[in-house]
Amino acid sequence: PVLPAGWTAEKDFKPVGSLSHAIDRNIEPVGPHFLAHARRKRHKRTFSEDDRI
Amino acid sequence: MSAENDPAQRVAIGISFGNSYSSIGFTTGEGRAEVIANEDGDRQIPSVLSYVEGEELHGGQAKTQFVRNAKNTVAYFRDFLGQEFKSIDATPCHESAHPLQHESTIAFKVKDSAEDEENEVTVSDITTRHLKRLRNSAAYYLGKEVNAAVITVPTNFSDAQKEALNKAAKEAGIEVLQFIHEPVAAVLAYDARPEAKLADKIVVVADLGGTRSDVAVVASRGGIYTILATLHDYEVTGLKLDQVLIDYFAKEFLKKHKSASDPREDARGLAKLKLECESVKKALSIGTSANFSVESLVGGIDYTATINRTRYDLLGNKLFSAFSRLVLHAVEKAQLDPLDITEVILAGGNAHTPKIASTIANAFPETTTVLAPSTSTTAINPSELSVRGASIQASLIQEFELEDIEQSTHPMVTVTPHLSHAVGVLCISGDETNGVFHAIVDAETPLPVRRTAIISTPREGGDVLIKLAEGLRHIKVTKPEPKAKKEKAEDDSDDSDDDESDEEEELREKTWKVSNVLSEAAIKGVKKGGKVEVQINIGADLGVNAIYREVGGKGGVRGIIAGEKAANGSA
Repeated sequence: PVLPAGWTAEKDFKPVGSLSHAIDRNIEPVGPHFLAHARRKRHKRTFSEDDRI
Repeated sequence: MSAENDPAQRVAIGISFGNSYSSIGFTTGEGRAEVIANEDGDRQIPSVLSYVEGEELHGGQAKTQFVRNAKNTVAYFRDFLGQEFKSIDATPCHESAHPLQHESTIAFKVKDSAEDEENEVTVSDITTRHLKRLRNSAAYYLGKEVNAAVITVPTNFSDAQKEALNKAAKEAGIEVLQFIHEPVAAVLAYDARPEAKLADKIVVVADLGGTRSDVAVVASRGGIYTILATLHDYEVTGLKLDQVLIDYFAKEFLKKHKSASDPREDARGLAKLKLECESVKKALSIGTSANFSVESLVGGIDYTATINRTRYDLLGNKLFSAFSRLVLHAVEKAQLDPLDITEVILAGGNAHTPKIASTIANAFPETTTVLAPSTSTTAINPSELSVRGASIQASLIQEFELEDIEQSTHPMVTVTPHLSHAVGVLCISGDETNGVFHAIVDAETPLPVRRTAIISTPREGGDVLIKLAEGLRHIKVTKPEPKAKKEKAEDDSDDSDDDESDEEEELREKTWKVSNVLSEAAIKGVKKGGKVEVQINIGADLGVNAIYREVGGKGGVRGIIAGEKAANGSA
């Protein structure tokens, strides 16, 4: 979409709303991607930190 | 014991343990899962044990004893593990050793020693003996002592059942590294193939077994699986399909031999019919006709006949539609529409039946892939899916300490917030009413998540507004026309009321409704025909970190949307 004239925001970014509530579900502890997730969660790492290792 | 618990000394296999059949597999050095055949050459090993003069028969050899030695033959016992006598259904065991109450557990009375006396053998002892035989077959094939395994279980297996199975396995010299769910093992078996591409998709796994059918709806998001709904049925099963053939051949037999008695009323006659009908069913999955032939079916009369697939498809018609209703019901239970389903994985022995696969395929739109041998050339043998999944998982965690595995599978790790709505950007117009929503992260994606998408900008370039929003999936019935109805701002109601009463030939399609705009961002001076890369990170606290950048351009815009806590729960 084209930027409407007169649109301004600090650093060109304007938060408007926020996400609706999430639903807690159990993920299946299976497969390589889960193991990566568990590793991140247990070591409290973020994606980019994980990428660096 | 200590040697077994040492991960360095571990030789782990995958075991799929079923009521009717079990299988064993391992992962090769190159990471390919392989299913092991036992000494009889069977990859699907019947979960049957039989005792003849103190000798223990297992698998296919034990199964043939249904005819002559039914009382000392134990079968269909998996679901009895860790159960109380009053809660079990002993129907499948009518033709073999009956389950009996034994203290708090269940036992079978069989002559399992050379002496002519009956012993009560508990179901966990039977399981131990069965697992021991499986373990030996694997060890024989691998040339190494096997001491650990990943075992698949149904999704409704209780902790008591898992505990009982764990104990029985330990007795058999198998350290259970992990129990994994059968449908998830099936998805993993497909995703672990080298040609598989990782995608966000909703998969339905229909496991059509002998004594039970289980359907699970699984959300696969970046290779992480979440079960959205499960369904278990003990009526629509493979044994019922065998019964269809049993009745057909018994009637044909009676027509031909007017004076003979009904083979179904004779224990041996019925046992012979059962065995033969199961192999006829299997033959009809491969060929278009099959021979039925039993020596001395009843009253010393031999009986041979043939049946073609068309006849069988007619006979089984009702059951085939019941299978497809079962699958649709599970989709409904997950509050989804068949249009939401990317793939249907057919697993279990009966998934070989071409008509079952085609009936299920007809229940889904053309966009849904049905993975069964008769509907897809890339399908994996449905009987091998769960054992392959288990083998892959076994190779992944083989080197871990048991404690690590337990910690990783703990609810602290596995209970994860999942997005309730899809998050994406609005294309074409910034106005919600006629903008087109482009989903970047699908609903039911576990958090945290990071996704990147490339979107195109207005042809003339210039300054671009990017609106991040939540989208609701909507099933639009009848002719598509842009709906100008504005969503009620804070309406969070369910959008899955897709059961329209009018049954006309209607066009159903998936559309998006924009509900909740999250943020706006401006990228200035985009080149003509330029594209914008959008990367969003959503944290477990529902905070969003968005980065927008023109492809090939410098800089870009970053923004943070505060998580749930700051929002006062107004969503």
